[in-house]
Amino acid sequence: MSAHDHSAAPRAMIELIGVWKRFDDFVALRDINLSVAPQEVVVVIGPSGSGKSTLIRCINRLEKHDAGRIFVGGTELSDDLRNIQEIRRETGMVFQQFNLFPHLSVLDNVTLGPRQARKMPKRDANQLGMQLLEQVRIPEQAQKYPGQLSGGQQQRVAIARALAMRPKVMLFDEPTSALDPEMINEVLDAMKDLAREGMTMIVVTHEMGFAREVADRVVFMADGEIVETGTPEHFFTKPSENRTKAFLSQIL
Amino acid sequence: MSAPTLPHLSSAQWLRKNLFRGPLDAVITILAGAVVGYVVFRMLRFVFVSGRWEIVERNLTLFMVGQYDRTQLWRPALAVVISAALAGLVAGVIRRRQAAAGRLPDPHLGGVRKLTNLSGRLWPALVGLLLLLGLTTSPGPWLVAGAALLAAAAGSALGRRAPRGFAWALAPGILLCLFGLVAFLAQPLEWDRWGGMMLNLLLAGTSIVLCFPLGVLLALGRRSQLPAIRAVCTGYIELFRGAPLIALLLMANVALGFFVPQELAPGKVVRAIVVFTLFTAAYIAEIVRGGLQSVPDGQLEAGKAIGLSPVRITAMIELPQALRNVIPAMVGQFISLFKDTTLAGAAMGFLDLLAGAEAATSQPAFRGQGLIAETLVFVALLFWVGSYTMSRESQRLELRLGVGQR
Repeated sequence: MSAHDHSAAPRAMIELIGVWKRFDDFVALRDINLSVAPQEVVVVIGPSGSGKSTLIRCINRLEKHDAGRIFVGGTELSDDLRNIQEIRRETGMVFQQFNLFPHLSVLDNVTLGPRQARKMPKRDANQLGMQLLEQVRIPEQAQKYPGQLSGGQQQRVAIARALAMRPKVMLFDEPTSALDPEMINEVLDAMKDLAREGMTMIVVTHEMGFAREVADRVVFMADGEIVETGTPEHFFTKPSENRTKAFLSQIL
Repeated sequence: MSAPTLPHLSSAQWLRKNLFRGPLDAVITILAGAVVGYVVFRMLRFVFVSGRWEIVERNLTLFMVGQYDRTQLWRPALAVVISAALAGLVAGVIRRRQAAAGRLPDPHLGGVRKLTNLSGRLWPALVGLLLLLGLTTSPGPWLVAGAALLAAAAGSALGRRAPRGFAWALAPGILLCLFGLVAFLAQPLEWDRWGGMMLNLLLAGTSIVLCFPLGVLLALGRRSQLPAIRAVCTGYIELFRGAPLIALLLMANVALGFFVPQELAPGKVVRAIVVFTLFTAAYIAEIVRGGLQSVPDGQLEAGKAIGLSPVRITAMIELPQALRNVIPAMVGQFISLFKDTTLAGAAMGFLDLLAGAEAATSQPAFRGQGLIAETLVFVALLFWVGSYTMSRESQRLELRLGVGQR
């Protein structure tokens, strides 16, 4: 147990306390407080520009927050590069644009992290990689290159790549927004499998069906603030805030 | 849906459609045809009728190896054969790796087809070789060419059977061999007195090998987060890009004496190599920097997100993609360097290929006969063979590294 330990009764996997983020004059995050319990699935929704992506990008320090404190697995995110890298290794991230490495084969995409950041021997890494590709149901594509795969397949490889670091938390940044409609479900199914296995997840998405079915909690953001949080049932049937109602009436 | 088929055109239709569609087209076609026809006629007449190629025939050895001791010619011959063997070895190892990864385009090809494929790929070099052999009057070069072919085949066979893990030792091993070869060639004639094609190849080869890593380091340094490193690299790049190459060569030749005592100054070849390396590295640095900028931010973020260190992100994610993107520009720079080695002859007094060609026209047998055109055409052809081969091989490499990319 480190001195950074933040002792909430069931220890939170992720804890944000009073987090602010500005881009020049634009306030992207405004006093964000959020706690995610182990094995909880939190879906973040909201209009574009509301700070959803910035929120999860602050958790693994792809963006640096200006004020407030962020804890991942009980460790506070600091400016120390080693600390940042350690937290990133415990935090898998899946991007809207997949961001697979085009010069590496699918299997090498998945094993690069374990081999380079965890010093895993090649044989073990390949074994792990194949196991994860089976989990996302594309082991037969292992030797191909990302450019030869469909968008849905690429995003599943990206999920396998993130899982290869054996993370405690998975962050999803609009994982289906860049996909053709017929490929969305294969990615959502892989995410549902993960949720069922008890992965702690924060998912930024516009897939309301997914939110309803999988989320333990829905967080609604607007203008850099968390406007409302609640169970999917509460959120979709009787939202209390006007901004939430307005947003839901536009998309449903 | 089937692809629309192009309507088949008879040759008369094709002519009308492409060359004589209207009166203006017809005039342009006839005029351009006349100009091209005239130029081709003059060229063919020069090559086969009026050109007096005896000067090239008689000076072939001078053009190839300069003042090299004529009783020691077995050394360059052996060097050619060994280089061929090394090239074959590399090709064999690459081929086996591709076969192991299942990425060989045509795994079951007969020996004859393989040979025709290879000669189709290397036809410019083949043309140059046949031309040289056609101009020789002695059997020696034929023997060397034959031995080199056999050595390449043997090297390739060896490379395909080499033990695993051998590939790691390959690059340093080859470099060591080439270094040894240069030392071996420099035994009877110190390299400051080298000449001919041999000197151009030495200058270009060494400078290419040295300027590439230096250029990459400069490119990385120019985007460093440390202001001092960034300033030094930027200053270096702008300084060397701002100076004419020939001025740098002249300075290395003459002005170095003002700064360094005579006995400490390196030899002329070393000075030339240093100038070519420093000069070209500045250009390579800018090319590589452009390549680094072409790698999307998302790639860096993906590398960060799996917890890779900044060094590893650069080495394993950014650089491989950046370098692939700039292969054409970089090989263009190498081709440029290869041809610019003739400036060393002009600025530093070497008897390189070009200077040798000029010198030949003032030999007693050929003086005052206006034979400069013959020698220059020959020199130009040799440089074209080298440059065009590099260009074609780089295109192949580009395609190969682009497997499955968008």
